[in-house]
Order: sequence, then C-alpha cells, then structure tokens
Amino acid sequence: MLSLDFLDDVRRMNKRQLYYQVLNFGMIVSSALMIWKGLMVLTGSESPIVVVLSGSMEPAFHRGDLLFLTNRVEDPIRVGEIVVFRIEGREIPIVHRVLKIHEKENGEIKFLTKGDNNSVDDRGLYKPGQHWLEKKDVVGRARGFVPYIGIVTILMNDYPKFKYAVLFLLGLFVLVHRE
Amino acid sequence: MAARNGKNGLLEKWRIDEKPVKIDKWDGAAVKNSLDDAAKKVLLEKYGYAENFNLVDGRLLICTISCLFAIVALIWDFLHPFPESKPVLAICILTYFIMMGFLTLYTSYQEKNIFLVSVQKDPAGMDLNHTWQLSSSLKRFDDQYTLRVSFTDGKSKHTREQEITKSVGAFFDGNGTLVMDQFEKCVSKLHNTLATEKKTK
Repeated sequence: MLSLDFLDDVRRMNKRQLYYQVLNFGMIVSSALMIWKGLMVLTGSESPIVVVLSGSMEPAFHRGDLLFLTNRVEDPIRVGEIVVFRIEGREIPIVHRVLKIHEKENGEIKFLTKGDNNSVDDRGLYKPGQHWLEKKDVVGRARGFVPYIGIVTILMNDYPKFKYAVLFLLGLFVLVHRE
Repeated sequence: MAARNGKNGLLEKWRIDEKPVKIDKWDGAAVKNSLDDAAKKVLLEKYGYAENFNLVDGRLLICTISCLFAIVALIWDFLHPFPESKPVLAICILTYFIMMGFLTLYTSYQEKNIFLVSVQKDPAGMDLNHTWQLSSSLKRFDDQYTLRVSFTDGKSKHTREQEITKSVGAFFDGNGTLVMDQFEKCVSKLHNTLATEKKTK
C-alpha cells in the first residue's frame, strides 16, 4: 500500500470515529445548505445572491459585483427601478432597469427592460415571440451589493476543473482531519 | 477461502494499531488526540475494561438527525420548486438550527471533556459494575496536558477523581513520536492511586 502518512489518523479510527468524520463533513455541507435555503425563505427570492455577469449596467454595476436580492410581494415594480430576472428556459439571471410598464386593474403587470450600458432594449434577449416580462420572471430586486467579490464565482464557472479541484481538496481535508 | 483471507489481509494492512504514533508535534489538536487515544488504550487493553459508547452515540444521533432534516429540505425543495416549498423549508431550517443549538449544549454540558466512559466488570459477577471515566484538557498553544481519571463505585455511586498535569514534552520525542512506555506509566499510576483508595476506604 502507498505510504500516505496523512491518512495515518484515519487508519487508527474505529467505526464510530469514522462515522463521525463523515457526519462532520455532512454537517458542514448541511449548514451551508440550510443557510442558503434560510436566505431563500427570508428574502422570498429563489436566488438571494447573484453575481453581475456583464457590463451592461455600468457605471452602476460592474462585472463581478455581488448583489443581495429580496423578492417581496409588497414591493411594486416601478419604471426606473433595477430588477433581476430570468428569461424562460434560460438559467442566467439578468440585472437590468425597467423601462416601460403596462398595468392591469388587478395588479398584473407586463414590463420592458434595458441595460443602462446597452443601446437597445432587451427584446432581443427575450424568448422568440415574447415582447414583455411578467412578475413570475422576476428573481428579485437588488437591496445591497459588494463589489468585485463575484469574480471568484465567474472564475469557478469559467474553469470548472479548478472548482472541482478546490471542492475535492476541501472535502478530503474535512474527512481526514480530526477536530 | 482465499478471497476471504485476501480481504482480511488488506484490512489488516490498512489498520495500523501496532505502528508507533507519530504526529506533528506543533499541532495541538493532534497532540491531544493522540494522548487521549493512548490513555484509552491503556485503560481498555491493560486493564481490560469495556467501553461504554452511550455518550458518543448521543452526539452521533443528534448530528444524524440534523443531517436528515437537511436532506429532507433538499429533496422537498427539489420536488416542489421554491415558492410552494416555503413552509416545509422554514420548518426544516428552524429545526436544523435548534438541533445545532442542542448539539452545542450537549457537547458543553453532557460530554464536557470526557473522551472515555468504561465499565469495570466485577469478575465474580456478583457486585455491580464500577465506572471509570477519562477526561482531559490541553489549552491552545499550551504544553500542559491535564488528564483526569474519575472512578464511580457501582454500589455507593460515590465518585472519586484524581488528575495529573504534565508537559506534553514528557511524552513525545523530538520527532513527534509518542513514547508509549512513559505515558503508560503515568496513566497506570493515576489509575492505581484511585484503585487503592477504593480498597482502603
């Protein structure tokens, strides 16, 4: 067998200790998961933290900024406000400003968006045949932001092997290291 | 037959109970863990006590239940996408964090620093069993290791404790290898002091 000295601690563990190491790993993952879901419940948004992926909202938001969103039913969407939305069938959230709104008496709205730094409105981005967005497409409204930190997420997505390597090493470290 | 032997052989090669313990002497957690393990070994192998796992099992149970709640939340949210899953999610999250609080209380007040609960069975099978508990502490960046042995008489339920504080330098050589003989002498002395007290009382 390879002499991997760092595994010595693991080899000396009995069944209970091994199970506890696995549980420890599970608890860390669970805690992260629960905090994320907790944020989802508190803010009402299905993606409470998003990263700005393009420069279409400069100079307000730059690529790599981290945005904190809320999606409360009571917040009405008004022209001039920045919303984060998803186009049906696409995963990527887009952060743009509301340009026009059509509102029915019962509160249903249809709205058009445009990025501050773009020269045309977003109709080119919508689904073919779709001319307006509705409330159900909205992921949330930006309530706070932290600049630049999101670059890490962009890097991890551009180089998935790097992401998997980091996660693998972290996982291994937690599993092997005793408290 | 050959396959079974082969599997046992592999398992034996994996386990290294007989290899002398070598750790990074500057890693406080590893030092304490190896001293605790060695003390456990002395009590279980030399004196032949049986380990009682109830304390550890309690902690494992709390952790397992917490993880189960997290898994339930994950699966429910996957099956019923977000807005509909809100109430179930909220319950699971609250329960999870309550369990976390519970776990912290459990480790602080129930477990304290105890790492071994063992039972000394009466050889004649007549009297009740006595309980030996080991607990220890080693402060961060400190070299003074305190080992506490506590003996609880099966009949009188009376508890007696004895502790010893020594520098970890007394038990490890320069390379970080644990000198088992020295440590065993120390633990045995502690144990025998308590055992003889029992006889004289």
